[in-house]
Amino acid sequence: MTPEASSTPNGQIEFTGNGSEYFRIWIVNLALTILTLGIYSAWAKVRRLQYFYRNTALMGHGFDYHGDPVAILKGRITGIVLLVAYNGAFAVSMRLGLLILLILLAVFPWLLQRSLCFRLHNSSYRGLRFRFTGSVKDAYEAFLVWPIASYLTLGGLMPLAHQRIKEYQHNHSAYGTAPFHFSAKAGDFYRIYLKILGLMFLMGLLIPLIVYGIHLASPGIFDGFKSKNPEVVGKLIGVIFMVIMVFYLVFFLLVGPWFAARIQNLVWNHTALGVHVMASHVRARDLFKIYFTNFIAIILTLGLFKPFADIRVARYRLTHMALNAQSSLDEFFAQEQQAVNALGEETANVFDVDISF
Amino acid sequence: MRWAKKPPTFSMSISPSDTGTPKAAPGGEAVIVNATYFDGRSALAHAVTLSLAGDVLQLRGHGIARDDPVTALRVSEPMGAAPRLISFPGGAHCEVRDHAGMARMLAATGFEDGLVVRLQRRWRWALASVAVTLAVVFAGYHWGLPAASEWLAFQMPDAALARMGSSTLDVLDRIALSPSKLPAARQQQLRDAFALLAAPGGAQTRYTLHFRDGGTIGANAMALPDGTLVVTDQLVALAAHDEEILAVLTHELGHVQRRHGLRMLIQGSIVAFVVSFYIGDVSSVAAGLPTLLLQARYSRNHETEADHFGAAMLKANGISPQRLAQMLEKLEAAHRAKAAAKSDKDKTATESQARRGGIGDYLASHPATRERIEALNNAR
Repeated sequence: MTPEASSTPNGQIEFTGNGSEYFRIWIVNLALTILTLGIYSAWAKVRRLQYFYRNTALMGHGFDYHGDPVAILKGRITGIVLLVAYNGAFAVSMRLGLLILLILLAVFPWLLQRSLCFRLHNSSYRGLRFRFTGSVKDAYEAFLVWPIASYLTLGGLMPLAHQRIKEYQHNHSAYGTAPFHFSAKAGDFYRIYLKILGLMFLMGLLIPLIVYGIHLASPGIFDGFKSKNPEVVGKLIGVIFMVIMVFYLVFFLLVGPWFAARIQNLVWNHTALGVHVMASHVRARDLFKIYFTNFIAIILTLGLFKPFADIRVARYRLTHMALNAQSSLDEFFAQEQQAVNALGEETANVFDVDISF
Repeated sequence: MRWAKKPPTFSMSISPSDTGTPKAAPGGEAVIVNATYFDGRSALAHAVTLSLAGDVLQLRGHGIARDDPVTALRVSEPMGAAPRLISFPGGAHCEVRDHAGMARMLAATGFEDGLVVRLQRRWRWALASVAVTLAVVFAGYHWGLPAASEWLAFQMPDAALARMGSSTLDVLDRIALSPSKLPAARQQQLRDAFALLAAPGGAQTRYTLHFRDGGTIGANAMALPDGTLVVTDQLVALAAHDEEILAVLTHELGHVQRRHGLRMLIQGSIVAFVVSFYIGDVSSVAAGLPTLLLQARYSRNHETEADHFGAAMLKANGISPQRLAQMLEKLEAAHRAKAAAKSDKDKTATESQARRGGIGDYLASHPATRERIEALNNAR
């Protein structure tokens, strides 16, 4: 057995990305993307992902990304054509729009499955590629059947649909010959969603207070409900819009990080690579601090803070994850082989598309 | 990228005399760099050392030895603290975390980073990129997008245009408008008078003219992309002269002729796409607001364009463009009076109208009426 260069035998994930370094990569590639009318964006994406992958290390070794920019460019062109067709169709006629929407719904799960294959096949660690073995049939179930069921039940099945999507992604991933296992149950997702519902209810309790406040600040504004005068109605609509916006923003900034933290912990604490369980211990209040300061900074810098924000979020989320060793990880990785047959088979029929932006 | 571009002469490849004698770096010392080797078939990590012998990279470790001409190797771009990766033919690779040693070894073979890497390394180029990005985005928004959407809008066949907004009038009828109280003869008189006007340059624009009771909307006129023109009874009543009504109609016909509805749709979709692509994951609310503000300027430009069209059409038919200016003044006064009449506290609307010449002007969907009137008066 050769000596391992491992500095963290417990499988803690490390991240060495740096904001000002990534800013230069981001802005130079953004400028090139703009100057080439978007074509360079595929190369920019590869470089961006490589920056994050290669600066992420587990047991002292980095990850790598191998995506082919041309495949990504094809995926992006596909995505834009679909988007334009979708937007344009509704402008021409409702019927054509609905037709395009149906076509989109029909191909979307297949495109997502292709994207997952592409993403994992092009990710590697210690020289071995990850794999995705989820079938197209299961993709339709996870990305079409369950979401539709969730809509039909007015969101009642949303947590279940969410669990099915994660299950589809994580249960069909593999590293070398070792498969990933996903063990979170729908009930776990329901618990998180119910708490959010509770939070929304608490926020709803504030509404009478706000209404009273608006009434004090501007008496007579609620006459707009009865009035036919466009000025008064317009003002009322403006006020209602403002209140909804503030609510949305508060919800987005407070509940968003909480939800992101809970879901990340749930998903990764129930994901195992072989016998080794992954661990994630992200805290909602830390994420809230990061999201909130990012949000303010991005607005104040007209977006220039975006790369710094991306690094901050990645650093926090990655460094709070680990692979908990059940036995020696060194031995585990030493035994891991490239799944030669499977890889050969699958690359042959991978229609290289990556629709994720 | 490739470690070395030009293949060396064959005599230089692995010859026994070369191997085993690491090449001296410019500093005089032989460079030996520690690395981790992965063969690409197993995840086993091998601690190895790298050194150069001529243009051959020698890799040595416990039970491993390989010699590859550097022309057969690929080197990853430098990415801060991330390891440099050397890829070997056949799928094996090396992780090098000794950045100083790696740099000396690369320099010894005359390796040069790619252009983009060199740009990324300097703050100077990063700042230049910021400037280029801002300049292109600004220019695209100001000139590029309007020109592109104009071109695109005129590629659209008339048949497709006729379908656009055909249901809009039905919706308006249901929520805001009611049937006109103008006598049919009066309606026909105005229709005939407008039909007699020739469009400038012989432009043929299909339209249908509808009269409606504006209700709470008051004196107003509007144009839909399919050529539907709507005039409210209140506007007809407000006009002191029929030429003033015709003047407003030429302005509205300008919107149809210049395909403003379609152009707004195209521009709006692209602005929304770019804004949400850029900051979409920050918040969709934060993305929606700038989109609205950015589109307001386009709508303002369209009003000016419709004014130009109207003025040209009026002049072509021997009517003074001032008729449009007079009508604009009256419309503004009417709406201001209405706003002021509502309540004493309602001054904000009037004030904001007055303030329109200032900062608000950039955000306003119509250009300041005063400016439009001046432009029309100068169009004589």
